[in-house]
Amino acid sequence: MLEFLEFAFMRKAILAVIVLSLGMAPVGCFLVLRRLSLAGEAMSHAAIPGIALAYALAGLSVLSMTLGGLIAGLGVALLSTLLARVTLLREDASMATLYLLALAGGIFLLSVRGTAVNLEGFLFGNVLGLSDGTLVLIGSSTTLTLLGMALILRPLVLQTVDPVFARSQSRHGWLIRSLFMILVVLNLIAGFRALGTLMAVGLMIVPATASRYWVNALTPMVVLAFAFGAGSGLLGLALSFWLDSVPSGPCIILVAGLVFLVSLAFGQNGLDLLGRLSGRRTRSTLSNKSKIGKDP
Amino acid sequence: MLSGEGLVLGYGNDAVAGGVDFSLSAGEILAVIGYNGSGKSTLVKSILGVTPLLGGRLHWSAGAPPAPIGYLGQLSEFDRRFPMRVIDLAATGGWAGLGFFQGAGRTTRQAAEAALEQVGLSDAATLPLHKLSAGQLQRALFARTIVQDARLIILDEPFAAVDQSTEADLMALILDWSRQGRALMVVLHNLSAVLEHCSAALLMGRGRSVYGPTREVLTPERLVDRGYMAADQAALIAAASSAGSGKGDGRA
Repeated sequence: MLEFLEFAFMRKAILAVIVLSLGMAPVGCFLVLRRLSLAGEAMSHAAIPGIALAYALAGLSVLSMTLGGLIAGLGVALLSTLLARVTLLREDASMATLYLLALAGGIFLLSVRGTAVNLEGFLFGNVLGLSDGTLVLIGSSTTLTLLGMALILRPLVLQTVDPVFARSQSRHGWLIRSLFMILVVLNLIAGFRALGTLMAVGLMIVPATASRYWVNALTPMVVLAFAFGAGSGLLGLALSFWLDSVPSGPCIILVAGLVFLVSLAFGQNGLDLLGRLSGRRTRSTLSNKSKIGKDP
Repeated sequence: MLSGEGLVLGYGNDAVAGGVDFSLSAGEILAVIGYNGSGKSTLVKSILGVTPLLGGRLHWSAGAPPAPIGYLGQLSEFDRRFPMRVIDLAATGGWAGLGFFQGAGRTTRQAAEAALEQVGLSDAATLPLHKLSAGQLQRALFARTIVQDARLIILDEPFAAVDQSTEADLMALILDWSRQGRALMVVLHNLSAVLEHCSAALLMGRGRSVYGPTREVLTPERLVDRGYMAADQAALIAAASSAGSGKGDGRA
């Protein structure tokens, strides 16, 4: 049953999804908590023309494609923030417009360039054909992410929970925000080869969302998101190996989706079905105007 | 601690208020009053250094703003769904003094526990934020302000969403801070009983602001003149206070 472990490409793939999940867990949690889930999706599409252009110019080089993706992804993010500031449109409208243009441009470039790159692999990932260069990229991305998150963790938490207070205590809010967005794009690009441009953001968002249903503190949320992400990665890989017509990206995200459904059904912050069935007193999460210590 | 001289407040090229003078010493409580949009919050942001002054000068008696400045702002952007326990929120008040990779150690933790006890939230220390009532959340934020341990504390509408008993408890804390020699600036959205405890008031709105001892500044004529209330409202209040014994008048 575990015969797939005998293949070197399979061991590489397993290593890739575990290391990828390690970096994506903290970034994904903050993406969800900062209400940027959809912006993350948009940025992953926005990175495509950069990657395509780098590929057209420099061929299949991990470094140039990463740089191209970073520049395009961050460019769209910065430009939409700028447009929201100087014009009447809100940030989501300008971001959606820009990323759609970027996505269309990217696919256009890839198609004009010819068939050398397999479009399905590009969109949905080919984790079973990872080069050593991609593994190095994933390892570097995760290392940078963990270091970077440790560096900006406290201001990032303050900015997310109480932005007004955060602004009162620090002049460097924009720097923290920008560093975080760089880490988001970096992780997306690291995930592209394994999961595809359409699915990479899934390994950030879905495990983080599922994890929030179970816990009420940041550290356990990140740890659980990692466990969910890595677990979905492993099961998804196995699934993709057995059904060899299905690309790895959708397999991994579907398993993560199953984890999400189970969390939604049974998590204490979800529907908490078991708790309700057993008659345990359920404290609905948001409507509750707490009874404890109101007038101590 | 701090004084302002001819401050012009606003954003970009739009001045919201001009000619704002005030002064605040250690141990004093300064109330800031004015109608919505009179520039109260902009004044606070300028003191915090978030918004640059368009004119005038802030004088810090120590030469520079103290660090940290205790601050409790409005909650319109506060995210109560963030996965954080009450004790962790209180502890964030001690983060300003920490280096980049330094963990919040036992001292911060103990300060947070003591602060929660002071605001009467010890029992709720491990509750997640989303389970708190509005009053409990405000108590938790006061605990964070205690942990900040700042020489200058700015509170922006601290009683906006809390009931009377919570307001009384929190007011007692403010008086404690003042007795400890901290300087306090309190932005108030209504003429609450809190004003009785404020040594001075800054009334903002319509042209130059007025600054002085609370009872001299907050006269009905001035409140009408600065656009804080309509003339008929002021007449009603004047009639009511001359009919009653006027609980504060004897002390003025």
